[in-house]
Amino acid sequence: MLEARAVTVERRGRKLLDDVYVKVPPGRVTAIVGANGSGKSTLMKALAGEMKPCDGDVLLDGRNLKAFTAADLARRRAMVPQATSLSFPFIVIEVVRLGASVPGFDAITTRAHAIAEEALLAVDLAAFRERLYYELSGGEKQRVHIARALCQLAAATRGPQDSAMLLLDEPTASLDLPHQALVLDQARQQAEAGRAVAVVLHDLNLAAAWADELIVLKSGRVLARGAPAAVFNDALLSEAYGCPIRTNATPAPGTPYLLPHLLRLLPHAARRDRRTFPSLLS
Amino acid sequence: MQDATPALPLRATVDREVTGARVIAGSVAVLVIALFLSLSVGATGVTLSSLPRAAWGAIQGSTDPVLAREQLILLGIRLPRTILGLFVGAALGVAGTMMQGLFRNPLADPGIVGVSSGAALAAVATIALGNGLFLPWTRAFGVYALPFAAFLGGFATTILLVAIAGRQGQMMVGTLLLAGIAIGAIAGALTGLIAYASDDRELRDLTLWSMGSLSGASWPKVVAILPFALLVLIVLPKVIRALNGFLLGEAEAFHLGVDTERIKRLVILTTAAAVGAAVAVAGVVGFVGIVVPHLVRLLAGPDHRFVLPGSALLGASLLLVADVIARMIVRPAELPLGIVMAAVGAPVFLHLVLRRGIGGVE
Amino acid sequence: MKLGRHAYVALCLAGGLAAAAALAGPARAETVVTDSGGRQVRIADASRILSIGGDITELLYALGAGTRIVAVDTTSQHPPEALKEKKSVGYMRALSAEGVISVDASLIIASDRSGPPEVVKALKAAPVPYVEVGEHLDAEGVVKKTRLVAGIVGLEQAGEELAARLEREFAGLAAMRSRITRPARVLFVLNAGGGRVTVGGGGSSADAILKLAGAANAAAGVSGFKPLSEEALADLQPEAIVTMRRSGGNHDTDQLLAVRGMAATPAVVARRIFSMDGLYLLGFGPRTPSAALDLMRALYPDLPWKREEPTR
Repeated sequence: MLEARAVTVERRGRKLLDDVYVKVPPGRVTAIVGANGSGKSTLMKALAGEMKPCDGDVLLDGRNLKAFTAADLARRRAMVPQATSLSFPFIVIEVVRLGASVPGFDAITTRAHAIAEEALLAVDLAAFRERLYYELSGGEKQRVHIARALCQLAAATRGPQDSAMLLLDEPTASLDLPHQALVLDQARQQAEAGRAVAVVLHDLNLAAAWADELIVLKSGRVLARGAPAAVFNDALLSEAYGCPIRTNATPAPGTPYLLPHLLRLLPHAARRDRRTFPSLLS
Repeated sequence: MQDATPALPLRATVDREVTGARVIAGSVAVLVIALFLSLSVGATGVTLSSLPRAAWGAIQGSTDPVLAREQLILLGIRLPRTILGLFVGAALGVAGTMMQGLFRNPLADPGIVGVSSGAALAAVATIALGNGLFLPWTRAFGVYALPFAAFLGGFATTILLVAIAGRQGQMMVGTLLLAGIAIGAIAGALTGLIAYASDDRELRDLTLWSMGSLSGASWPKVVAILPFALLVLIVLPKVIRALNGFLLGEAEAFHLGVDTERIKRLVILTTAAAVGAAVAVAGVVGFVGIVVPHLVRLLAGPDHRFVLPGSALLGASLLLVADVIARMIVRPAELPLGIVMAAVGAPVFLHLVLRRGIGGVE
Repeated sequence: MKLGRHAYVALCLAGGLAAAAALAGPARAETVVTDSGGRQVRIADASRILSIGGDITELLYALGAGTRIVAVDTTSQHPPEALKEKKSVGYMRALSAEGVISVDASLIIASDRSGPPEVVKALKAAPVPYVEVGEHLDAEGVVKKTRLVAGIVGLEQAGEELAARLEREFAGLAAMRSRITRPARVLFVLNAGGGRVTVGGGGSSADAILKLAGAANAAAGVSGFKPLSEEALADLQPEAIVTMRRSGGNHDTDQLLAVRGMAATPAVVARRIFSMDGLYLLGFGPRTPSAALDLMRALYPDLPWKREEPTR
């Protein structure tokens, strides 16, 4: 389990995170939501070990993150940041394979290659296998990195007591509706396989549909946490976002609104479309 | 409810693994040819067929003058020159690759961390002040005063740079780049100042040095560079995965398990040592460091598993071939190496760029 | 008597052979010379010479050993046939070890200014004898150099003659110098292109030739050949200027005249700008006395010159 205790991150006199307590338990999807600048990405970076807190600790399986080497960490957690830039002519499958090229991993085995192929399939990019990465659209590039993270988690060798975590920072930002569903379903599958999954989402509907627990941040502090049904109340969300929000309401007559084909919301129709990839869940 | 996933064939049609392996094999072949050329071609017309009897003569201690001449040419002149050329080309190729990977900048060259400008400053100071302020130095090291000074100057400049950029514990790559530019400019200004105040003859010497040459090759120099060659060989495999990770950005490299601070220091200091040694024995040889990594990437893709060894092999080959041309084209005189490198390499590179596109430079 | 006639023919033949042997020179016993660097060098065969250094090449030709030269360097520009007829090993300070060996010389005579130092070191250790000849920028040095080079190639007699002649000429120069009442301030311009004017300062070969010609070096304040700024140039106020003659016109003179402030100097006002050949003036070879003399004539036309003084 990944846990943040009293984490405070300060930069240039500004508190990006202030005394934050967060638990990312295995087997569940935890969504982190909040307005722009509320500290979501900072929290993810702290949980990933990328940013060191000025105060407080981040613990992984009870041990402080600082005690882990970069390679040790990489064996237990994979992170997909908001944006990644790559200025060299890699092809897509090579970028995915980079997930398995962690120091200490055996990256050149057929197993690692097979995992990479499956990861690519899982994000629906099999047709892009030999395309040059930089030719892809924003959404496609994002999926490549998600595949890379899945590959990293699957290719790592872990002890029986070691947790595995998937951290996703706005993975759906550039994705269209079907792919949003696809990616979040993969995240759910990872959680169902016993991994701890934390996702930063800007879309509350997605969060409500896919997460087991929501953590609402405001100005670097945890405003509320709980199951979606509990967190979805007008007062709370209006305060979090600083604008009037009505939950579970119907729109004014004549205003169309959209309920996407989300696998969780319409389960009976969805199950037959669900694709699983065993090698990514081992 | 469970969907069976279809069996996945591991397609190898445009598989970079195969291409990469082929490029490495091809580079080894090219290097072997280049080594052969460098040892068997020369102004005196002595060929490798004389090698067995020359070597035998050396072992026997024969005093036959014809044999002595062949020994001198093959073992005393061409062999150390070939070994040095091999080292310089490989070192510059590898250094260029590492710098381009670390700074995620396909236009970085080995000198970006200040080592070339520092070496040039030390060289011009030794040339201009060797009989004045630096006389004790020149007296102490004799013929090796200039190479030793060049190495120290280059390495010291990089240490200074690393110290400046790493002040807050974390070495910021962006700071390193900018500080490198600033220090390079300072070193350049000082170099220019000394050059301006120096004699006509000293100026000519400096110009020649900055055009690069392997003509001063000798066995002591070969022995001197051996530790650096070893250093590069040891460090190379350790940084392959790290550099691949760095291409995604430092944060991503960390997520992929790379100890970024350690790798940054290791790569920069290795580059400084290797390039410092190369510049010390051959003067300033441009072109190899920037272009050879690109050449290899054009052929094998950007995976450092292939680019690093490929750059070493191809860099060495290119330098050796250029050196052969340099000493044959106006024999019995000799052209500076850097000029031949640029004159031969640039059109080839341009041709490749136009045909295949440099690709992927965002 | 038949015997007498045969004996006479035999004697003539023997005498002829002996004379030929004496004149041939190269076929002689091994000698050991001490070069300018203090090294002892064994020379067995001086028949194929590699000459590195314009002054050394000039000396060899003046001694009559020009035919023995197999290769020269690019500074060996006098006589013109040197570079035309002989192979070139390139610039004196950028020699190639294998290249030098490939010309198959039996003797290398090189100026001590040759380089790069590692190549010189390797050549000194090579089987071919390498004799280093130092640069001396005065009359005594030139004469000494003449005798040294003559000794190296086994032409001691020709060397003595040449040395003696040079000594006479230098003495004549010294005599004319003593007649100079007031030395002229002369500026020696090595080149003047691209906005940079390089002058010969104190300690340079230009300074030495000016001294020989009885002139005062206007640029004595700088040392060696250095570029000067426009202001500094004009400040020197030379009474005469010497520039290097180049093939294709006197560009240097034009460049020089274009420098602001030069127009007002006594040299330009009196149109006392002289163009002379670089190697002639600065080579410090056997033509040095006549070069200094020509310079002196140009600078001091009013001295009591004898009409028989040879010029070139």
